[in-house]
Amino acid sequence: MSLILKNILLPLAAFNLEVNAEIQGRVTAIFGPSGAGKTSLLELVAGLRSPKSAFIELNGRVLTDVSQGLFVPTRHRGVGYVPQDMALFPHLTVRQNLCYGQKSGGDKAPLFTFDRIVEVLEIKSLTQRGVTELSGGEKQRVALARALLASPVLLLLDEPLASLDRKLKARIIPYLARIRDEFGVAMLYVTHDRFETLALADEMIVLIDGKVAQTGPVREVFSRPANLQVASLFTVETILPGRVVKNENDLLTVAVGSSLLSAVPQALPANSSAVHVCIRAEDVVVARDCDSPNSARNHLPAIIESLAREGPLVRVELNCGFNLSALVTNQSCEEMNLKSGDNVTAVIKAPHVHLIPR
Amino acid sequence: MSAEEWQIIWFTAWVSALSTIIILPFGLGVAWLLARFKWPGKSLLETIVSLPLVMPPVATGLILLKILGRRGAVGGFFHDHFGFDFVFTWRGVLIALGVMSFPLLVRSSRLAFEGVDPRLEQIARTLGAGDWRVFFTISLPLASRGILGGMLLAFARALGEFGATIMLAGNIPGQTSTLSLAIYQSVQIGQDADAFRLLGVSVALAFMAVWWSECLLRRKTR
Repeated sequence: MSLILKNILLPLAAFNLEVNAEIQGRVTAIFGPSGAGKTSLLELVAGLRSPKSAFIELNGRVLTDVSQGLFVPTRHRGVGYVPQDMALFPHLTVRQNLCYGQKSGGDKAPLFTFDRIVEVLEIKSLTQRGVTELSGGEKQRVALARALLASPVLLLLDEPLASLDRKLKARIIPYLARIRDEFGVAMLYVTHDRFETLALADEMIVLIDGKVAQTGPVREVFSRPANLQVASLFTVETILPGRVVKNENDLLTVAVGSSLLSAVPQALPANSSAVHVCIRAEDVVVARDCDSPNSARNHLPAIIESLAREGPLVRVELNCGFNLSALVTNQSCEEMNLKSGDNVTAVIKAPHVHLIPR
Repeated sequence: MSAEEWQIIWFTAWVSALSTIIILPFGLGVAWLLARFKWPGKSLLETIVSLPLVMPPVATGLILLKILGRRGAVGGFFHDHFGFDFVFTWRGVLIALGVMSFPLLVRSSRLAFEGVDPRLEQIARTLGAGDWRVFFTISLPLASRGILGGMLLAFARALGEFGATIMLAGNIPGQTSTLSLAIYQSVQIGQDADAFRLLGVSVALAFMAVWWSECLLRRKTR
């Protein structure tokens, strides 16, 4: 898929949505906090809002070009849209909902058949029901199937899992992955959930206050946030001011408080010495003693300040001259018998110490 | 009840129902425009549509008489080209009832359309539906309860219309005499028993229409 968004300008209540982006990914996540303009961006692509200025091109076909007065009506855009509330038609049965978009695509062969979609999304048994009798997860799958049956070129999904609980989320994600893999439909996926993004998207656009803060492959964006705002969005637990004190053989030494950390320069501009040091909790290893040598560059003596359970993991707050969060599994925590006040060593590989210029 | 009375009841019910059906497409059109679009002069149309609710019905009747009379613009045209008149005929009754009950139909239908989530209409468009299909498959069915309630209110209003009807159509027994006109006339000539019989019928009809309408409108808002 190729989606070009140029000179997008849409005034919103608190700020202007201003976007310039070229999207090539099969599944592209639009990632950002609530109220960042993510939904508005989807609505622009779907043609449900008129922008002040915009050039939108999907697979070589211009959909909106305000400067030329061109605006393809929503129904001719070939863009499927699943809004956050799913918007199933309450007066129709599940089957009628599913077939709503199918009828009008008469002249061209549908991309996928009714039977196939119903089978893949496992909603065959629901087709005779009214939509008010469906559970949240069932509604979600019906809404997806309805959008797919209209044979869209691009599927717009607005936080499709936000209203579902964690357990249900985990059950729906495989269905979305199947749509991606079996039907090959391109998707723009609005979310503020890191887990969903990692599970489904290959590229992402980070949107903050209506502006694109960063774009790129998902893993790269997550591991190398472009600035502090993006980093705090990704819940990078530890963000500290630091100073680069040495640069030797492409290994940087950074002073944080009274401690020294080794880091890899990555995309850091050559002359920056004042930096933010970002360390994700899952990248921190907690060790009892560090007699056996290992490849990690950073070994920091630390005291455990507190332990808090988070599902299968335990969040360990460490003091090693500065505050550092670590995530370890329950099992490790029990086997190592970690308690507050214990002396331990925090181990961090140099590439996991991410630096952002200050 | 006499044959003449039955004729009056039958005529009133029939002409009220017909006027409601005739104003339905116009009422839905205006209600839809008011509910979904913004345009300059919208408040002017809103006011004009509501005028018959608050103006003296006799005044509305007089305006209609001037427009639809043989020397009026519309009345003259129909007389010259189609050879029929509105004034002092059942057609006059029909028009007087339609104009007087139009605001009630528009108000209920507008509320009903406004109650339809625009998101559902948008989604229908993303599924390839054009404006008419969206209207007939999404907006109209979802608003149908409120619209039906509005139709019943309009019908009930038409049953009781007096002022505009007597102005435009007069009170010709067997031709333009409706329930309310007949009640008035019975009282005028001192036949109170006849008046009360007709009164009972009109109360029963109005009660049923409004009650049903209230049921529909209340369930809609729940």
